[in-house]
Amino acid sequence: MGDSYAVDVQEVSKSFGAFKALNGVTLRVRQGEIYGLLGPNGAGKTTLIRMICGLLEAHGGTVTVLGQRMPNVAVLRHIGYMTQQAALYPALSVEENVDFFAAINGAESGVKEALELVQLYDRRKSVVSTLSGGLRQRCSLACALVHRPELLLLDEPTVGIDPQLRVQFWEYFRRMAAEGTTLIVSSHVMDEADRCQRLGLIQYGRLLAEGSPADIRAQGGSQNLEEAFLALAAATPRRAES
Amino acid sequence: MSGHRIRAITRRLLQGFRRDRRTLALLFVAPIVILGLLGYLMRGSSSSPSVGIANQDSGPLGAVVAKTLRHSSHITTSDINASDGDPKLRDGSLVAYVVLPSDFSSQAQAGTVAPEVHLEGSQPGEDAPVLQALQQAMTSLASQVAGRNVSFQPQVKYLYGGANYDTLDYFGAAFVGLVVFFLVFVITIVSFLNERSQGTLERLMASPLRRGEIVLGYMLGFTVIALVQAAEVLIFSLAILRIHNQGNVLLIFGMEALMAIAAVNLGIFLSMFARSEFQAVQFIPLVVVPQILLSGIIFPVSTEPSALQYLSNVLPLTYAVNGMRDIMVKDADLTWSSLQLDAAVVAGFCVVLIAAGTATLRRRLA
Ligand SMILES: Nc1ncnc2c1ncn2[C@@H]1O[C@H](COP(=O)(O)OP(=O)(O)OP(=O)(O)O)[C@@H](O)[C@H]1O
Ligand SMILES: [Mg+2]
Repeated sequence: MGDSYAVDVQEVSKSFGAFKALNGVTLRVRQGEIYGLLGPNGAGKTTLIRMICGLLEAHGGTVTVLGQRMPNVAVLRHIGYMTQQAALYPALSVEENVDFFAAINGAESGVKEALELVQLYDRRKSVVSTLSGGLRQRCSLACALVHRPELLLLDEPTVGIDPQLRVQFWEYFRRMAAEGTTLIVSSHVMDEADRCQRLGLIQYGRLLAEGSPADIRAQGGSQNLEEAFLALAAATPRRAES
Repeated sequence: MSGHRIRAITRRLLQGFRRDRRTLALLFVAPIVILGLLGYLMRGSSSSPSVGIANQDSGPLGAVVAKTLRHSSHITTSDINASDGDPKLRDGSLVAYVVLPSDFSSQAQAGTVAPEVHLEGSQPGEDAPVLQALQQAMTSLASQVAGRNVSFQPQVKYLYGGANYDTLDYFGAAFVGLVVFFLVFVITIVSFLNERSQGTLERLMASPLRRGEIVLGYMLGFTVIALVQAAEVLIFSLAILRIHNQGNVLLIFGMEALMAIAAVNLGIFLSMFARSEFQAVQFIPLVVVPQILLSGIIFPVSTEPSALQYLSNVLPLTYAVNGMRDIMVKDADLTWSSLQLDAAVVAGFCVVLIAAGTATLRRRLA
């Protein structure tokens, strides 16, 4: 059963010192699914994403990606990771940055397409340190998907992106999912959450609700996703100290 | 001007230091280490230059001079055969030897003595005490030859260097390598920390790149820069400063390249122990200054207190500096076992650091 899931997280815990950032999280994401991670600041979304791509080792539980136990270097070429803060080389141009991430993933051919997708092709010669925050975010996304990964981990990809481009991003995400790419997207924006096939609500390091947006509305007892989310969040006990 | 706002800045700075224990520790540890080392080096240095005496005089006066030299406080003497002199200079057991010729006594009676003084010559500071001791011996000789003024015309021969060989020549050979070593070290450690603080290292870790590939890629990149710099330094030193050079320029360049590679890897490795550029900067005096003091650049390793000699002998820079001097001053080539050792130690150091840098890379990310 396990291999029909692109991502299989079982009972994962992670502590930073005495602080439990993740506490027994279990979630599965099917291939071709768009899975939204929601939760307040400090809930553990970034920590979970970093564990899925093997940057942090679990203190308990297992993470399986594309059928392989993580951490596993061989799987990484099939993963694209967009970090929460645009992590780019400020002294390089947009194109040089994307080129670099393409090269280390062995996919030099996708550069132009990635730049066109984020609408940076005209600005490809601009040096990153001269770009605005939103433009950097776009460049960062291009770096994450230039090698057409099977699994895309996007940590708040649309922060600072203008509404027109945000709509286009989501159209593109959906098209990629239809072609079989699996996406895990963290977000604080509820109308984006509504575009995900499934949502996981994380708070105090625990997964407190999971399901389609309709399920979440039903569980939270509200037609408004935001209200449902707040109702579910308010119902959880506080973080357990280890 | 508002005292309030100025105080806010001052307070913010001190608050930051309170959290940054490592910087604070380095700030207070580094000066003690550096000054302590310097004091120990200068006060503890004991040995006076070893001088061989080959007395071939058939008359009595040679023995008189030899005796005065033996009691000189400037030098330590031993009796040798003139034919053993050059090999002993070469293997470093003597810095000079004096040959008193068979007609020395009759020369003195005739009024002009011309003993041969053979100097090793690669360390300019060591010639002075030898010549000084000899001068004193000749003064006491004059009192033995009643009624005559004995003029003293030593025939000074240099094994290496020569009369025009000066302090810059001696230091230049070491500094040609040193300049490259430290500049490359600094840019590597800072740019590797940049990678960490701008978040791109996390991205590299989430890519199929292997740790060894990152370390080797960095090494090659900075080595290219370092080699260009090394070439520039070499050309400037030889063509403009006219630093004494006997050796093969390609060998010098090869040794510089090895030092640059060692510096890159030292930078990568040490960047694992710094969390910010700020902390990395603190490493520089702590890493750089003791190495300069102990690598024999300023004080020859053989004159250091023996405890420090052990330390000097495990520092790669000691071998690098020695190798550079052997090439530039003594025209060493790769058939010399000392140069083979120097190059092998520096190369071995690179390999160890590459392995160590690779091993520490992932651990320090989380
Ligand atoms: N390296 C670390 N050392 C100590 N604590 C950490 C570390 N990384 C994360 N944490 C803590 O773990 C908790 C979860 O952090 P995480 O970054 O996963 O939150 P998040 O859900 O992504 O929040 P946000 O919406 O603000 O991005 C936070 O309280 C954070 O302070
Ligand atoms: Mg986050």
